[in-house]
Amino acid sequence: MDAVRIQEEDFSIEAEVDALRASSKRIGGIATFLGCARDFSEGRDVSSIAFEQYAGMAEAALQSLRAEALATFDIIEVRIIHRITTVYAGDQIVLIVVAAEHRGPAFKACEWIIDTLKQRVPIWKKELTPEGDSWVTQHP
Amino acid sequence: MSIKVLFFGAIADKLGTRSLVVPEQKNMRLSDVLQQAGCESYRPFLVAVNQEQVNDEQQFMHAGDEVAIMPPFSGG
Repeated sequence: MDAVRIQEEDFSIEAEVDALRASSKRIGGIATFLGCARDFSEGRDVSSIAFEQYAGMAEAALQSLRAEALATFDIIEVRIIHRITTVYAGDQIVLIVVAAEHRGPAFKACEWIIDTLKQRVPIWKKELTPEGDSWVTQHP
Repeated sequence: MSIKVLFFGAIADKLGTRSLVVPEQKNMRLSDVLQQAGCESYRPFLVAVNQEQVNDEQQFMHAGDEVAIMPPFSGG
């Protein structure tokens, strides 16, 4: 499995962590960020969330995030998976897994990747609510 | 030859289309394409040319270019 993927189907955290651990025996710590769908946002119930991407550019942006993280932080390997589909409360959306010799750089890189992903990767989410649909415009 | 314009997210919904084709003209700039695409009132938006995000709307366009007009991102 590629280290960076955009896909409709769900993913397995365990499979991604196993793939990361198999990449090096120098790994001393792995940090993960898992983004999930909520059933409530901006004071409204949310029935489901639909995602849209700019195909091609979105995956290239994720690849360059991974490359920049590897060049910037003292880490060993990174995996990033983002689903593009319709998800429901509790479903998995995005997974970032970072391996390093020590926990500090792994945590820092993981936080930087999710924060920067929200700014740089052309993906949009639309929340479907009982009151109607609305595109999300903020980066909370 | 022509220039393909793609719309995403809220801008696509407001315009009621996800793409259109703008005929290429001599010395055409990105700002001309944005104007012809009818999306000026939906700022702020981000723009990519051939899948690379750009800031200079005075740059010249070429036949076959793909322009993407994108609301602020909200992935993750």
